[in-house]
Amino acid sequence: MEYHFIIWVKDLDDNCVSLAGSKVARLGELKRMNLQVPDGFAVSTDAFKLFLKSNNLENKIADKIKLITNEDDLDQVKTISNRIRDIIEKTEVPKEISREVKNAYEELSFNCFDINLPTAVRSSATGEDSAESSFAGQFDTYLGVTGKKRLINALRKCWSSMFTARALSYRLKNGLSHEDSPMAVGVLELIHARVSGVAFSIHPVTGSKDRMVIEGNWGWGESVVQGVVTPDHIEVGKTDLRILEHQISNKKIVSAFDYSEGLVFERKMPKLFREAAILNDEEIIAICRTVKLIEKKYGYPVDVEWVINRNRKKNDLITIVQTRPETVHSQEDQNQASHKWDPVAYAKKYAFKS
Amino acid sequence: MANIIPVDEFITDEWYPGFKPKYGHSAWCTEPINTFKKEDEKRFWFLDFHWPKGLSPMGITFLEDGYSWSTQAAAQGLPLPPGKGIVQRLGGTHVYASEVPVTSEWEMGFRGARIEKNLPPFLENFPDIWKDRVWELDMGLEYFENYDSSGKSIQELGQNLVDARIFHKRAWEIHFEMMYPLLANYLGFYGVCGELNIDPGEISKFLQGYDTKILECDRGLWELTDKVKSDGISDLFESNEAENLKTVLDSDPRASSWMSLFNDFLQKYGHRTEGISDINLASWIEDPTSPLGTIKTFLMKEESHDFDAAQKASVEEREESIENARSSLTSEEQEKFDGALGACQHANFAWWNDEHNYYIDLRATIPMRKACLALGEAMGCENKDDTLFLFYPELMEVVNGSKSISDCKEMIKDRRDYYDHWEEKRPSMPKVLGFIPEEVADPIMIEIFGMHHHFFNAMKAEGQDVQTLTGVAASKGTITGKARVLHNAGELHKIEPGEILVCEATSPNWTPAFAKIAACVCDGGGTLTHASIISREYRIPCVVGVGLATSVINTGDEIEVDGTKGIVTVFKNQ
Repeated sequence: MEYHFIIWVKDLDDNCVSLAGSKVARLGELKRMNLQVPDGFAVSTDAFKLFLKSNNLENKIADKIKLITNEDDLDQVKTISNRIRDIIEKTEVPKEISREVKNAYEELSFNCFDINLPTAVRSSATGEDSAESSFAGQFDTYLGVTGKKRLINALRKCWSSMFTARALSYRLKNGLSHEDSPMAVGVLELIHARVSGVAFSIHPVTGSKDRMVIEGNWGWGESVVQGVVTPDHIEVGKTDLRILEHQISNKKIVSAFDYSEGLVFERKMPKLFREAAILNDEEIIAICRTVKLIEKKYGYPVDVEWVINRNRKKNDLITIVQTRPETVHSQEDQNQASHKWDPVAYAKKYAFKS
Repeated sequence: MANIIPVDEFITDEWYPGFKPKYGHSAWCTEPINTFKKEDEKRFWFLDFHWPKGLSPMGITFLEDGYSWSTQAAAQGLPLPPGKGIVQRLGGTHVYASEVPVTSEWEMGFRGARIEKNLPPFLENFPDIWKDRVWELDMGLEYFENYDSSGKSIQELGQNLVDARIFHKRAWEIHFEMMYPLLANYLGFYGVCGELNIDPGEISKFLQGYDTKILECDRGLWELTDKVKSDGISDLFESNEAENLKTVLDSDPRASSWMSLFNDFLQKYGHRTEGISDINLASWIEDPTSPLGTIKTFLMKEESHDFDAAQKASVEEREESIENARSSLTSEEQEKFDGALGACQHANFAWWNDEHNYYIDLRATIPMRKACLALGEAMGCENKDDTLFLFYPELMEVVNGSKSISDCKEMIKDRRDYYDHWEEKRPSMPKVLGFIPEEVADPIMIEIFGMHHHFFNAMKAEGQDVQTLTGVAASKGTITGKARVLHNAGELHKIEPGEILVCEATSPNWTPAFAKIAACVCDGGGTLTHASIISREYRIPCVVGVGLATSVINTGDEIEVDGTKGIVTVFKNQ
C-alpha cells in the first residue's frame, strides 16, 4: 500500500475528506472556486495511522481504554484521557513522516517567502458532519507555530486531541473507534490578521434564512471562537446585502501574535481599539458575498471563519480559513420561508394561543 | 395568596333585595349571567373595572344585553376558536367576569376552520363594514336623542324603553362584532413584530396618530377653554366649584355668549357619560359639571394643549418608528412586515378602540336612561331615577299596569341602600375570585382587561411588602410625581395638573384628564388598553397591568413611573 503523508491544499477537494479531513479538504474546494484560502498542506490520515502502528502505540492506547469502566464517569475518562495524551505526545514520530512534514514546511515557507513561516496547525477530523459539529472546536488548533521542531510537537498534540475525555466518551457511547474516523492535520500559512471572526449564512439563533450574521474582533479569530470576548455583531440581508444591524461591542480581549515566542496569545485589548468598529461597510459586504458563494456551492447553510489580512485593500478578497455546514437550523422545515402576511395564521398563533 | 379565592361571601339567589330572576327573563347566548354559586369557585373571576360604583337593577340590563349576549354572540359568530365570549357574576352590585371556554377539541378545530373563512373578508372590508355600522348607530342615536317625551303616555314611554333597549343591544352587538376580529388582527401583527425582533414598545407607535371622534371632543373642550380666556370670564371658573359653575354661568350676563357656544358643544358632544354604559350616570347634557370642571382645571395650565402639534409629533413619530423598524429588516422580512402593517392600518384596532367609544360605550345607554327617567316622571316617582332601581321586567309590569309603582317604594329604598352599601365596599372587594389560573384564552380579557402573566404574578404576590410594582410598559418615559388614586370617575375633574393618575383602569370618558396628568398607572390593562393608547397620544409615561396599584398606592404618595420598562416605584408618604 502506498502512503500519502502530505497533500497540498491546491491538490485537495471535497473527495479527499478521508485523507485530509473535512476542514482542510474544503479549503482545497474553496481554492478551486477562486476564493482566497491560506496556502498549506494536510498531514494525512495515513500519517496518523502509521504513527499509531509505530512504537506499539495502538496497543498501549487500547490497553488504557480498556481501563474505562464507565464512560459517563467523566473524572475517570479524564484520567485515562490524560494518560493516553501523555503517551502520544511522548512518542517519536516515525522518520518517514517527520521528514516529509519538515520538507513540506520548508517548501511552504519558501512559497510564502518567509524563512521562519508561522503556521496554523489545525486538527481536521474525518467523521461525518454530525460528529464534526458535536466536536466543533474540541480538537486542538495551534496558531503561530514556527519552526520544524515546534511543528512536529503541534502535530502530535493535534493527534492526541483525538483522545480528549469528551471525544473518548462520545465514541464509547456510540460504539465507535478512533480508527473509524482517523485524524488529519492541516499545516497552513498563518494569515496576519487585522480582524477575524465567524460568519453564518443564516441567522444562527432564529434560523432565519434571509439574514446573515457576522461576529468578529481585532486580531486573530481565537478570541471570538473561544467566546472570551463580546464581538462586534453585524446582521446583513442575504438578498440585497443591506446592513441591518451593526453593534459595536466593548472588546476587552484580543488574540495577538507574539513574534518572539511564535504564538498567538490572549491579551488585554489596547484602549483605542476597544470600542472601535472592526469592519467597514465594504469589508462587511465582501465577507457576505464570499459566504453567499460558499453557501450556494454547497447548497446548504454554512458557517465560516474569515480573516482580513492586514495588507488587504479595498476590493481584495477576504481570506477563509475554515467552513462547515450549519447543522442546527439547516434541516428545519422550509415552511417558514413564506414571506407573506397571513392574518389567519398569525391570529391563530398569537390571538388564540390555547 | 392561595390558588382559590372563596366566593362564599357573595353566594345568594337574590340579585337585589326582592328580585330573583325567573327563568328566561332575559335572552342569553351561551351562558347567562347570575349571582355566585359555590361551584363558580372552580372558575377564574376578576372584578371588572368598568363599573366602580356597581350597577343598579336597570344597569344590570347592560350585563345581559351588552356584556354577556354581545360578547358571546360575537365569539360564536366569528367564531373565536378557544372561547364562547364572556359571562358575569354579581358580587353584590359589582361585576365579576370570566371567559366561557370551548372545551371540545373538535369544536375548537371546527371553529378554527370557520374563522379561516371569516376573518380575511372582514379585515379586507373593515372600513366599509364600520361605515355601515356607524350609519346604523347614527340612525338610532338620532331617533332617540331627538325623542321628545313630553305629553307621551306611559305606554308610549314604555315602548320607547323597549325600543331603546333594542338599540342598546344592537349597539353592543356591533361593538364586539368589531372588537374581536380587530383585536385578533392586532395580536397577529404584534406576534409578527415579535418574530421580527421589533421592540414591543415600538409596535403601538406604528398605529398611532389617527384622529378620532374622542380627540375631536377634547379639542372642543380646549377651544372652549381658550374662549373663556378671550371672553375674560376666567374669574368665574376660578372662584366657583365645578358643581356650581352651571348656575353661575347661566345667571351671569358676561358668560351668555360663552354659554351659547358651550350649549352648541353639548348638543354635539354632550351625549356622553362619565363611565361606560352605566345607566345611573347622567350625560353631560343632563349634568354638565364634568365638562365645566374639566375646563376649570384646563385653565390652571399655563398653556393650552396644542392638539395640532401633538398630533403632528405623533404622526412623525409613527413614520419614524416604521422607517426605523423597516431598516433593520431583510427585504423578505419587510415584505411580511409591510403586509401586516398595511392590514393593521387598514383595520386599525388602536384607532377603532378610541373611535367606537363615541358611538357606543359613552353613548348607547343614554336612550334607555332617558326613557326610564321619563317613565319615572310620568309615574310620579319621588326621585327622578327611582325607575333605575327596578329590573327591566319589573318596570315593564308597571308599564303594563300589572304592578303599581307605589307598591315598589319600599323596595326601591332598600335597593338604594343596597347599592350604597356595595359602593362603599368597592375598595375592599377582592380583585379576583375562584381559581387563579396561569393564563386565560380570551383575547379581550388578556389585552383589554390585562389578564396577562404580570397580573397573575401580582395576584400571587399579594401580602408581601411591595414597593416596586411591575406591569406592562405601555407608554415610554419616566417621571416622578404625586399620586392621585381614583376609584371612580366622579372626582376626575378635580385632578390637578402634574399629578399621576392611579386607578383600576381608565375609560374613554377619562380622556380629558390626560392633558393634565403627568403619568398614568392602572391595575389592569395591556398595550391596547384605553389608558395605554391615550397616554401615547398625549405622550406621557404609562404602566398598566400592575395588579395592585390602587391597593398599594395612596393619594399623596410620591411615585416614579417608568413607562419604558414598566416599573412603578412607590415612595410611601408616611
